[in-house]
Amino acid sequence: MAEVKVKKEPNLTEPVDTENRIKELCQQFPQGITDQVIQNDMPHLEPQQRAMAINKLLSLGQLDLLRNSSGLLYRLKDSVSASKMKGSDNQEKLVYQVIEDAGNKGIWSRDIRFKSNLPLTEINKILKNLESKKLIKAVKSVAASKKKVYMLYNLQPDRSVTGGAWYSDQDFESEFVEVLNQQCFKFLQSKAEAARDGKQSPMVQRNSSFATSHEVWKYISELGISKVDLSMDDIETILNTLIYDGKVEMTVIAAKEGTVGSVDGQMKLYRGVNPVLQATGLVKTPCGLCPVFDDCHEGGEISPSTCIYMTEWLDF
Amino acid sequence: MTAQEVRLCGLLLQEHFGEVVEKVGTHLLKSGAQNLRAIVHETGVALDLVKKSLCVLVQHGACVFSSRRKGAGSPTEYLTSYDRILRILRYPRYIYTGKTLYGDTGELIIEELLQRGHMTMSSIVKTVADRLTQNMEEGCSMDYNEVSSAFSKLVETHFLQRCPPQKTQASDNSTTTTPSDPVSTTQSTPESFPDCYKVPHVTLVGRGKRPHPGEDGEDQRNAKRPKLDPETHGDEGIYWQVNFERFHLHFRDQAIVSAVANKLDQTSSEIVRTMLRMSEVMTSPTATCTKPLSANEIFRALPPSYNIARPILDQYLTLLVDDPMEFVGKAGDSGGGMFVVNLHRALANLARATIESVVQERFGSRSARIFRLLLRKRHLEQKQVEDFAMIPAKEAKDMLYTLLSQNLVQLQEVPKTPDFAPSRTFYLYTVNQLPTVRMLLQNCYKTVANLIERRLFETKESKRLLEKSQRIEAILASLQASGAEPEQLTEVEEMITATEKQQLDSLRLHINKLDSAENQVDETIFLLESYVNSTATS
Repeated sequence: MAEVKVKKEPNLTEPVDTENRIKELCQQFPQGITDQVIQNDMPHLEPQQRAMAINKLLSLGQLDLLRNSSGLLYRLKDSVSASKMKGSDNQEKLVYQVIEDAGNKGIWSRDIRFKSNLPLTEINKILKNLESKKLIKAVKSVAASKKKVYMLYNLQPDRSVTGGAWYSDQDFESEFVEVLNQQCFKFLQSKAEAARDGKQSPMVQRNSSFATSHEVWKYISELGISKVDLSMDDIETILNTLIYDGKVEMTVIAAKEGTVGSVDGQMKLYRGVNPVLQATGLVKTPCGLCPVFDDCHEGGEISPSTCIYMTEWLDF
Repeated sequence: MTAQEVRLCGLLLQEHFGEVVEKVGTHLLKSGAQNLRAIVHETGVALDLVKKSLCVLVQHGACVFSSRRKGAGSPTEYLTSYDRILRILRYPRYIYTGKTLYGDTGELIIEELLQRGHMTMSSIVKTVADRLTQNMEEGCSMDYNEVSSAFSKLVETHFLQRCPPQKTQASDNSTTTTPSDPVSTTQSTPESFPDCYKVPHVTLVGRGKRPHPGEDGEDQRNAKRPKLDPETHGDEGIYWQVNFERFHLHFRDQAIVSAVANKLDQTSSEIVRTMLRMSEVMTSPTATCTKPLSANEIFRALPPSYNIARPILDQYLTLLVDDPMEFVGKAGDSGGGMFVVNLHRALANLARATIESVVQERFGSRSARIFRLLLRKRHLEQKQVEDFAMIPAKEAKDMLYTLLSQNLVQLQEVPKTPDFAPSRTFYLYTVNQLPTVRMLLQNCYKTVANLIERRLFETKESKRLLEKSQRIEAILASLQASGAEPEQLTEVEEMITATEKQQLDSLRLHINKLDSAENQVDETIFLLESYVNSTATS
């Protein structure tokens, strides 16, 4: 009940007391306080005095000045980061703050320049400095391979920066995706085959050929083909590619809340299916696959009579 | 009509009717309806040859003539229809279907009719019976009755129909007034002629078995000039032709049944086959789906050999309805559930599967993934395609551009500002099924034309060899007939050297391969054509 106590001693005229009081307030509201809060708390304080106190705290690096939609916001600086920043000059602190604000999405050095208004050479020096102190790190973004973004050292980069599980460094691991794609299909296919061999009634047969995405996820995790931890979402993305391959069908069913693998009372079921058609007649001929089909005319340089593809196919 | 179609029609005409008919036919195809004088003038073919060619075309139903199109007294004009000529490509399949449904007799009836365009029933029966007798052992012969009953069956199932009577022959129609066994004529056909499927009373049947000509000579005379037979059988003037539409419906049903068998299982396909057979007569050829059938009816109509219990049938039907291909739909709940076969939906799905298969075979499974993705999601930006298909940006871009350049994928620009600045425009990729199918259809026509062209080329290349082998075979046959010494025979046989023999064998292999490829492409053509036609009527 600090507030009640404070209200009993209204005459806080000493600047040190004011500062301490502001710090206390900040501790109470870790997300930051506005000017209004201070004013309400210490109604007798002259605006000038208040400004002086805040300015002092800011210059000492104990307070952060932030801007949000409703106006300015004061926040107590992390004691950790404050201690880390010991021995750094203001410019360094400024750059650090800019990077900190960017969160785990990171920030590009050019954007740092715009936000801090420092020359690029200076920024590069500071960044190198901070990096050597292990306060920040540089991460290569998948969106643009040459673009480096900076973020605090202890942060896990966002998926949009790393590309999620499918990227190692900033390369897309298409082989990994293919392997997972095949494994998922194999799982669903074997399940469908087992159901077919079950010799049960057709309805039961179909229902037992379905697998939930959770089951697939478990199977893949137990296989141990992935070094990174895959989430259910990752597996569902893979299963979706199988749908686009025309090898798998998906249905959504309502599930009891709390069932494993259900999301929002829904469960996604997948099953392997057979294609409707074998390869169509057209593509069994060389013409159906011919790369120069449009240039082919009787009597021309490329013609059915002299076609080498056709000759190879006939002699096959 | 496109250049590819004209080219294919030309090749087909040339192969079946020779150079002159081809010249007249392609000219008519290119120029539309024309009178005799114009044809003679523009093709530069002699008048009597043009007349004969037109006769051939009319006989086969590939050409129609009409007078007074431009008012009274204007000359008769001739018009060819390319789709009828393209049917020639499907002849093997019609004949094969005749064989599978009605045995050798059915096969020969269809074959004779296709070869001659249209014939009277009596002459077909005679020719077919003669041909069958020829292939039988000595002393056996084919009864005319059996052939005519097979013929009646073909008519009953609408595989054969009467040629619509010509106005000029109106007087001949009096012969049709005495039909013996009226058959169902409920199915509406292109012909509005009511007696379309009535088998006339043929006195040939009444007389029963007649002696068959045993010798080859007389047989050939009969086959060549059946209409010159001096006897009358009571069906003069009633000509029969093959009902292509009915065959196509049969092919369509087969395609649907086999697709169900591929997708689900054999039992489901048998259920769908039963449903299709039940509704065969009731459903009009252009209907989007069959008439609703109740589960009870289906259960009763199922052949007992399948051994499907009622609850199992219900389960199968539910599965068929649930299937995303939507071959079977539910139309109501009465009578244990009313079910229909979605004919047009099935055709659309099969056509889609066909283009997917083309993309898959031609550009690889990853491009097919992108293609299916676009079919599913309609419009997508490049970035979305990469993310959904899980394909690296560089490869996805390459595949999309390749598909785009082949016109399999279309690009839709949606500008945010009216200036179409690239940075402020959405580029959406999409697939339009119908235009894509039409394009593939043209590709199919070109492919078949290429295959025929190649076949002609292969035969031309080894013309000398073929002639030689034919000559030698003829010599061998005549020697054998005259009872020559075995040494003499081997001597003649050795006239073909080992290398020549090898060449002949490989040539035969090539021709067979090309032939079967033509038939396979025709299956694709059939599916795509049916789909295009179904979109026109629905």
